[in-house]
Amino acid sequence: MSAVARKSTPNYRLRRGLLRGLLYTILIVGGIIAIVPFLWMISTSLMTLGEAISGRFLPQVPQWHNYIVAWREADFSEYFLNSVEITLITLGGELFFSILAAYAFARMKFPGRDLIFMVLLSTMMIPGMVLMIPNFLTVTWLGRVSPIKWINNWPALTIPFMGNIFSIFLLRQFFAQIPDDLFDAAQIDGASHWQFLRHVVLPLSKAPIMVIMVLSFIGSWNALAWPLLVTNEPTWRPIAVGLFQFVDEAGSELNLQMAGAVITILPILALYFLTQKQFTESIARSGMKG
Amino acid sequence: MHAKFLAAWHGKTGRKWREYLTAYLMLAPSVTLIFVFGIFPVLFAVYVSLHRWRIRMGKFVGLAHYVRAVESLGFLLFFAAALGMGWAAWRALRQVFSRAREHEESPWWWGAPGGLLGVGGLLWVRYGVILLPGVLGIANKAVGVKRSPGLFRKLLWEALVAPHVLAALAWALGLTLAGALAWWVLYRRQPSARHSTYILQWGEGVFFLLAGVITAWFTYRQLQLNIQKAVEEGRPPTIATHLVLITMGLMLFFAAWKLWQSAVASASDKGFAFKGLAALFLLVAGWIFVAELPPVIEAGDPDLWRGLVVTVYYAVGTVPFQLGIALVLSYLLFQNIRGREFFRVLYFMPYITPTVASAAVFRLLFIGHPSGLVNRFLRLFGIAPLKWLWEPRGVFALLADGLGVHLPSWAAGPSLALVVIMIYSIWTYVGYDTVIYLAGLGNIPNEINEAAEIDGASRWQIFRHITLPLLSPTTYFLSLIAIIGTFKAFNHIYVMRETEALKTVNTFSVVIFDTFFTDTRYGYASAMAFVLFAIILSLTYINNKVQGSRVFYQ
Repeated sequence: MSAVARKSTPNYRLRRGLLRGLLYTILIVGGIIAIVPFLWMISTSLMTLGEAISGRFLPQVPQWHNYIVAWREADFSEYFLNSVEITLITLGGELFFSILAAYAFARMKFPGRDLIFMVLLSTMMIPGMVLMIPNFLTVTWLGRVSPIKWINNWPALTIPFMGNIFSIFLLRQFFAQIPDDLFDAAQIDGASHWQFLRHVVLPLSKAPIMVIMVLSFIGSWNALAWPLLVTNEPTWRPIAVGLFQFVDEAGSELNLQMAGAVITILPILALYFLTQKQFTESIARSGMKG
Repeated sequence: MHAKFLAAWHGKTGRKWREYLTAYLMLAPSVTLIFVFGIFPVLFAVYVSLHRWRIRMGKFVGLAHYVRAVESLGFLLFFAAALGMGWAAWRALRQVFSRAREHEESPWWWGAPGGLLGVGGLLWVRYGVILLPGVLGIANKAVGVKRSPGLFRKLLWEALVAPHVLAALAWALGLTLAGALAWWVLYRRQPSARHSTYILQWGEGVFFLLAGVITAWFTYRQLQLNIQKAVEEGRPPTIATHLVLITMGLMLFFAAWKLWQSAVASASDKGFAFKGLAALFLLVAGWIFVAELPPVIEAGDPDLWRGLVVTVYYAVGTVPFQLGIALVLSYLLFQNIRGREFFRVLYFMPYITPTVASAAVFRLLFIGHPSGLVNRFLRLFGIAPLKWLWEPRGVFALLADGLGVHLPSWAAGPSLALVVIMIYSIWTYVGYDTVIYLAGLGNIPNEINEAAEIDGASRWQIFRHITLPLLSPTTYFLSLIAIIGTFKAFNHIYVMRETEALKTVNTFSVVIFDTFFTDTRYGYASAMAFVLFAIILSLTYINNKVQGSRVFYQ
């Protein structure tokens, strides 16, 4: 029997239908498992404390003011702003330094270029736990000798992350693809490296810069161990640490905990849905998560 | 003079130098930051791990922390590091000689400046080690007085000009300058286009050779001291025998691996059977030797040993499941179905959620109280509530208890609390693996599938013999990331662990963090972190060797 003939028999169609049904069932069950914790989180965040403890599925009357309480009294407004500030400072420094370094690596010739790049690249395989202890000592030392405070202040939370070899690598790959003709033309016109970088390279590099922004945002939003080390009062505590301590210490207020979790998740989810494709791609490419 | 300099600066050579200067200036911020927070810390961590260090630096203790963590394996770790340096030296020198042969030049002369520079490099490291305590001490001197840039400069200067520091600087500077001078003289006498490559590789070779010899000698001295102490305290010095046994075991493993490779390559069935049998024999022999390993590590720190066992459970309980589920989901999504994008977005959501938030949700879902959502769900099926995250007992032991059987403690399995963490982990990472698998499936050319279909292959046959082998690079990549990820796993475990679960969920990274953060034993925690580093490195190496050879690339 030929393949075409086989496809038209009723038996085949029935089997095909069953297979399709099974396929969709598996996919839908997977989707439900992926989404249920989120739904339950939102539902619990709208319950009264009594309802949350009794383990109901849905609140009788949605308690929207839970969010106001979490935002105001549990200091989530402060943590949220801290995280935004930390993200912005880190991102600003990281982007500026990485763009300069990547441009030098990609478009300039100087002795030791490949050697320096290889040495920097080799630092990517060092596990964070090895670096954490000496870096903590360094940061404490810096805080004790320099006029600005490091612990409980923005420098300890941002400066160590401004030199990022992964960002440099990503940008270098992209800059190296820009055609040489463009560069030669600019040089004939008398443009300096700086002008070429500003007026030609950067406008072309929106995609990798976007990737770095997304990754840096996720990185600072997720960071737990390092901020836990270098902040011991709420003034500069980022949101992940704030939520962790709220969950760990105020163990009983389940509904407020979940409201805090929703507040923490919302910005990332918003970013995800706004820049869906780029977001997925940038994470898939980097293969890492905090 | 001034005018001449200006002319040179604006001339053709000047342009070259200005280009170099600009490039270095552009690199400066990133290189400085990565050096201070990414390269220097590795050396600093070695330094910390060799000292008693509880918040403040204490006295030098040698390899004592490593011995406390993993017993005699600590020495093996350092011997392996020395061996690695020797290997790096050998590779660099071999390159020098093969390149020289290729261009019919004599490489020996370049050894003089190269060697001087190599020794100079080592002396710079020595200078750093000698300078470090003084610079660290500045912070203690600055306590109680008003901080100002002037004071800092004064204290830093004092640390820099201490006599022993200056002597070390003189040595380092002297040898480096001598090397540079020798380079210049030699280049004048016999110019070669490859002079910088030769000299840098000579330098690299000499540097690593000396560093390896020093590390080996240091380790040997520490080993001797340790044996001496054991004899004085009347304990049998088992360390040397342990080391010999384990080393022999590892060598036998290596021989078995080589023999197996040649067995696979051999043409006749008889040859294959013979060599395969011999390889198996060697493997068993090696195993008998390496069986010393677990008791040795167990004789070290019990917390660290438990952390290792937990991590292995965690890896075995998550990686295969997460990859398997992701493979199925991505394969189904890849069929011609409606709403593919929608499902993909849905599956990816757990992965992008901030870890602390989703772990907080799971912590409440799997609460040990009967009112928890999962327990209520189980009640629908008439199952009694479980203690979930509060349960330190092993799952196999719990199951056996249900059947009225009593299991010995070694067979208890991962605790139920750890199983919840595994579930969380699978829930999180399936989305990521699915997205990567989807990309991998998209890379398989359609013609191959069509050709197989025309040949009458069934769907299962196509999946088994075409899709799966062509996906093997993706599987390789994902499993490597996942296994290394289990050793780094921290955030979600730190959030979800409960005191009731005792220490049954503390993976290696969590144990290190606790030693550092809660117990403030910085020196010991650094030593543990290096043990972790060694494990990750060897896992990557083994994975490369074993799986890498079986990966099928198109």
